[in-house]
Amino acid sequence: MKALCWMGTGKVEVHNVSDPSILNPHDAIIRVTRTAICGSDLHLFDGFIPTMEEGDVLGHEFMGIVEEVGSEVSNLKRDDRVVVPFTIACGNCEFCKKNIWSACDNTNPNAHLMEAAYGYSGSGLFGYSHMMGGYAGGQAQYVRVPFANIGPLKIENDLPDEKVLFLSDIFPTGYMAAENAQIQENDVVAVWGCGPVGQFAIASAFMFGAARVIAIDRYPERLELARSLGAVTVDYAEEDVSVLTALKDLTGGIGPDSCIDAVGMEAHSTQLQGMYDNVKTALMLETDRPVVLRQAIQAVRKGGTVSIPGVYGGLLDKVPFGAAFGKGITMKMGQTNMHSYMKPLLGRIEKGEIDPTYIISHRITLEEAPEMYKVWRDKQQKVTKIVIDPWA
Amino acid sequence: MPTNMRNTNAEPTPQMASAGVILNGRYLPPPADSDGKLWVRTSTLIHADPLALYERWRNLEKVPTWQEQIERVTVTGERTSHWVMRSGDKTMEWDSEILADEPGRRIAWRSIGGESENAGEVIFERSPGGRATMVTVLQEFRMAKLASAWETIVGRNPKQAIIENLRHFKALAETGEIPRTAGQPHGPRGTIAGVKKSLYGEKLPTPPGEDRKAG
Repeated sequence: MKALCWMGTGKVEVHNVSDPSILNPHDAIIRVTRTAICGSDLHLFDGFIPTMEEGDVLGHEFMGIVEEVGSEVSNLKRDDRVVVPFTIACGNCEFCKKNIWSACDNTNPNAHLMEAAYGYSGSGLFGYSHMMGGYAGGQAQYVRVPFANIGPLKIENDLPDEKVLFLSDIFPTGYMAAENAQIQENDVVAVWGCGPVGQFAIASAFMFGAARVIAIDRYPERLELARSLGAVTVDYAEEDVSVLTALKDLTGGIGPDSCIDAVGMEAHSTQLQGMYDNVKTALMLETDRPVVLRQAIQAVRKGGTVSIPGVYGGLLDKVPFGAAFGKGITMKMGQTNMHSYMKPLLGRIEKGEIDPTYIISHRITLEEAPEMYKVWRDKQQKVTKIVIDPWA
Repeated sequence: MPTNMRNTNAEPTPQMASAGVILNGRYLPPPADSDGKLWVRTSTLIHADPLALYERWRNLEKVPTWQEQIERVTVTGERTSHWVMRSGDKTMEWDSEILADEPGRRIAWRSIGGESENAGEVIFERSPGGRATMVTVLQEFRMAKLASAWETIVGRNPKQAIIENLRHFKALAETGEIPRTAGQPHGPRGTIAGVKKSLYGEKLPTPPGEDRKAG
C-alpha cells in the first residue's frame, strides 16, 4: 500500500510499504477513505517531538471501511464505516473506567519511555512517535486499529466522510478545550490560535453558552473563519496591537473568564520574548515556546480558567506561575478523552448544529501530501485544513 | 495524634504491608542493591479480583505468554518447576521452588540451582477503598550470564524486565492481550534504526499474550 512516512525533520515521503495485518485479537484493519493533516503533525514535521524514526507512517486523523477484524472484535464487521479516535484506549483500566481515556494504562507498548519523561505514560497514539507507542498512522491506504472493540465510532448515516472525519481528533479536541474552560452562561472566552482546533473551540465555547468569544491569530483566512462563527477577532501581528490590552479593552478591563491556548509548543510572537524562545529552543535549553501560555495566564481574569488543548512536550521557561497563583486561576489541559465525546458530537453534526467541513481549504492526494506539509508549515496558500483521499 | 481526630474515612493504619512497603504506618523504601545482589520492587493497580490474578500468576506453564524471553516453564513437582529463558541464540535454564503459596494473597519463590540466582514474591491485595487490586512484586537476583553490560544496553535492563513483565501481566489481565507494534508497516528505516529500536525497547519480542503460540 501507499503510506506517508516521516523521513527526518522537514522531510516526509510517500512510500510503498507492506499492508498492515491483524497482530492482536482486538485489532481491526481499516481501508482509509479519508484522512487529514493535523496541526500537531507539523510538530513532528518540525522535529519538535522526540523518538520519531525514519520510516514511521504518519497520521492520526482518519476514517474508513472495516476490512478485517480480529478474533475478539464483535462490535464491528467487514464493510462497517467508522471514524477512529487518535488516542487508543483499552476500556478496562482504572483510567478508562474514570473516562480519562487518553490516560489509558494498557495501550502504549513503549510506556517506559513516557514514564522516564513524564512519570507515567499516557495512552498510545497513532503515528505520533515511539514514546507514544510507535503505532503506524493513518495517512495511508490501510491502517491497523488496536482495541477496535472500544475506539472506532460506527457511522450509520449517509453523511459524507468529510462531515464526520474531524470526530477523529480536532472537533472533540476543540470541544474538550471549551469544556475544560469551565464556561458559564454569558461568559467571555478568549481563544489563541484559529487553526482547526481553535475553530472548534470557538464553536464549542458558544455551545457552552459563551456570550462573546475573542479569537486571536495573525492569518486573515483563519480570522475570517472565526468571525463567520460570531467571534470578535484580534490580529496580534497588526501594528500597535497588544493582545493583553485588547483583551482588557474587550472585557471592561477585567479580562476573559476563560482563556484557551489552542497553539501550544510552537507559538510565534512578534515580541522580543518570541526571539528569546527561538534562541533557547535552538540551543536546546528549552523544548517548547510557551509565548501563548504566558499571555493566557497574564490575560485571564482573577479566578478564571486557562484551558490548554495546544500540545506541549517538555520543559517550559519563564511561565508566570506567580500570576497564576496570585489570581487564583484554574488550569486544565491534556490529550483529548476522545471516547467520551465522539458519539455526542456525532449527534450534533447529525442534527445540523455544526457542519465541520467549513474549515477545509484543500483536498489532496497522498502524493501531494509531502508538498502540502511544507505549504501549511510555511502558512502559504491560505491553508486552513487539508484533507487527503489516499486512493485518489 | 489523639484517636478522636482520626478521619472516619481513613483506613485502619496498616501496621505491616507485604513486600515491606509499610511498617507501623510508615512507608519503607525498597531494599538497596548490595554485594552484587540487585533488588526490584514494583507495583501496579489491576481491575480484577485478587484470586483471579493469583491464579493467573500461579499458572506457571502459561508464564511464557506474558513474561519476556521465557521460552518454557515445566512443572516438575508440587512446588518445583524448570525454567528455560532465551535471549537471541543463548539460553539459560534453572529450577525454581515455591516457598509460600497463599491463594488470592501471595506467592514466594526462589531458584534452586541452574544458571540463574533469583528469589521473589508477588503480593495481591485490595487497594485502599477496595476498588481494584494492588499487585506488588519484590524480586532479588544476581547478574547472570545473559546480563552482560552490553546486553543490558541493547536488550532490556534486567530490572526493567521485571517492571515490563508486570505491565504485560496487567494488560493481559485487564484486556486479554498485550499491546504490540512489531510486524506493522513502515517505510525505509535509517542507518541508525537498530540503535533506535534498542533505545525504544522494541528489540525484544513482545510476549504473545493469551492462547496464542509463543514467538
